[in-house]
Amino acid sequence: MTSHEGHHEDHADVPVAVRARRLEERLIAAGQATDAELDAYLSQLYANASPVNGARMAARAWTDPAYRELLLADGNAAAAELGFTGLSYQLRVVANGADRHNVIVCTLCSCYPVSLLGPSPGWYKSFAYRSRTVREPRAVLAEFGLVLPAETEVTVWDSTSEARYMVLPARPAGTSGLSGDELAALVSRNGLIGTALV
Amino acid sequence: MGGQTGFGPVPVGEDGEPAFAADWEARVYALAAVLRQRGLFNSDELRDAIERLPPGQYLGASYYERWLGAIETLADEKGLA
Amino acid sequence: MTYQPGAVVRVRNTDPDHHTRMPRYVRGHTGEVVAVLGSWVLPDDNARGMARARVETCYAVRFSAADLWGSGTHMVTVDLWESYLDQP
Repeated sequence: MTSHEGHHEDHADVPVAVRARRLEERLIAAGQATDAELDAYLSQLYANASPVNGARMAARAWTDPAYRELLLADGNAAAAELGFTGLSYQLRVVANGADRHNVIVCTLCSCYPVSLLGPSPGWYKSFAYRSRTVREPRAVLAEFGLVLPAETEVTVWDSTSEARYMVLPARPAGTSGLSGDELAALVSRNGLIGTALV
Repeated sequence: MGGQTGFGPVPVGEDGEPAFAADWEARVYALAAVLRQRGLFNSDELRDAIERLPPGQYLGASYYERWLGAIETLADEKGLA
Repeated sequence: MTYQPGAVVRVRNTDPDHHTRMPRYVRGHTGEVVAVLGSWVLPDDNARGMARARVETCYAVRFSAADLWGSGTHMVTVDLWESYLDQP
């Protein structure tokens, strides 16, 4: 089989997994990365980046008014207080309430607070979500099964800078007896993006 | 592409789907991160390279396929490999 | 820092041929600053690998759906670099 190495491969003929591995090998051979670095990066991503992080922060805000205030005023400081230090972005947290609902999007690409929510879901990166959420958020939320009352004020946050957004869901009713861990378990990743109530 | 019409329903999917649909996607993600960490390109250069993909490739490629195309572009333009 | 929360600002109506983080859908529109954010390298410069890329303050600017799309009751907040903005 003849093959044309380098820039001008007809991509339609090459399975993408093969293309990816070839690029990786070229870069490793050129000393621009190592397998160990790539493995280590993925290991720490899988080990550390998870929506349980954001859920812990939300649950703490539900039970500790001072923490809630900090979370909304200075997300990075609030994250650090729970051990999530060295965030590479400015964390902005926006609170849902009885009459207001927030939802996060990145129309330009797919910016997302990965360290606190884990890698983003496929739908967040889709053209449909990116294009429609700023224009018709209620219709988009309805596709997630979330139908908001007409009186609810909806705000969409487009993550266009180095700030990353997270929603502080409203604490569900009937949860006053629950422990911090139990409360955190109620908070879903979609709730932290705004495509679910909690 | 905020406000652009015609993209249809959001692929809501099931909760608990894996972060990466295939191993190669995770490797591409890691490659971008490592090359950025090493200072070989910055995030804006990566986004720009994605945006510069030919429209057919941009719209027809999956998300991480676009990242792959962008890293290939930057590797060529910067003579990385 | 030029703008304070509450300031009314208008997004410049430009269509650059280089990478930018000024979304098309807010260009030329007027909104209200809701928060002053950090200062970061201007993506327009950073994407072109400029040695002396500008560092500017970013602002979270809120727009009404009615203004952006002619319909809708929601608000859209977009984070914008200072040079993307003008006083109306």
